[in-house]
Amino acid sequence: MAALVHPGDSSALGLMVRIMAALIRISSVCCRGVSPLLFRSSSLIRPLAVQKKDRDCPYLISAKIHATPSSHAGSGSKAASLHWTGERILSIALLGLAPVAYYYPGPAVDYSLAAALTLHGHWGLGQVLTDYVHGDFKIKMANAGLFLLSTVTFAGLCYFNYHDVGICKAVALLWSK
Amino acid sequence: MALLLRTVARQGLCLSRSQFGVLYRPAVPMGTAAKKEINKFWAKNTQLNRPVSPHISIYKWSVPMMMSISHRGTGVALSSGISVFALAALVLPESYPYYLDLIHSMTFGPQFFAFSKFALAFPVAYHSFNGIRHLAWDLGKGFKIPEVYRSGYIVIALTVLTSIGLAAM
Repeated sequence: MAALVHPGDSSALGLMVRIMAALIRISSVCCRGVSPLLFRSSSLIRPLAVQKKDRDCPYLISAKIHATPSSHAGSGSKAASLHWTGERILSIALLGLAPVAYYYPGPAVDYSLAAALTLHGHWGLGQVLTDYVHGDFKIKMANAGLFLLSTVTFAGLCYFNYHDVGICKAVALLWSK
Repeated sequence: MALLLRTVARQGLCLSRSQFGVLYRPAVPMGTAAKKEINKFWAKNTQLNRPVSPHISIYKWSVPMMMSISHRGTGVALSSGISVFALAALVLPESYPYYLDLIHSMTFGPQFFAFSKFALAFPVAYHSFNGIRHLAWDLGKGFKIPEVYRSGYIVIALTVLTSIGLAAM
């Protein structure tokens, strides 16, 4: 089995762990960003009211229109939007990884798949929890459990890539039977 | 000396606290009014014993609805599968080829592996094709009801063809 272990992967592993940690931190930032979406409708209505009241000074109107929404949900909605974009970029990256894994299997693709699959699953299950779990304490417990699951999954996949045949080769071996 | 130690210790404490502050600052809930509103909504729903929307038993099931929940279902199933696989890699003592050969040497017949490949390829293909459909929606394309149905049937056809093809490989 030793012949199949990828040599010199420890640096790649370290890098992947660091990337994963950074991404998970970003995701935990972004998790909070869902509720500000609700704000948008209310903050759209409010500037209209302002506009009616200050009809006689047009310069102030534009300033107030732009100021009102940002003072309410500025960083929150930005984080939500960033998280949304991140999810889409990751999905497209995963779609692109499939042909790369087929034509150029190797440790780089193995670790990329480990990170991308874990994070995609983490974000996806996070959405499911957001939809179905209610109550502050339950949400906290569910998110902590999900974080633990994702960490163990990433560790397991990296262990598999380092000490075993790796994800690409594993799929290839199954399909060779 | 004691004063010096105390000052250093306090500074250390402050430093560590500020580090935590950097880590946890994003965790401070944003939009408290919205959160309050959502909580109020759920409290009212529980108090009035309202059914969950969409009410599963009174809705007429449509193809897009089935496909939507299937997308989530396959996603959760695949994610669980990956987690179980990763956990098995950590826990089981032998290597992957050993267990693959072990299963292969058992007399399940060739249908077993074909079925396994299909069982793996089907959710992957469905989630991928339907994921592309979702990405098209994210671009704002294909929202008209006939388009939703058409893209849905295309996804189902591609999924069946791809998974049968992959299982036969």
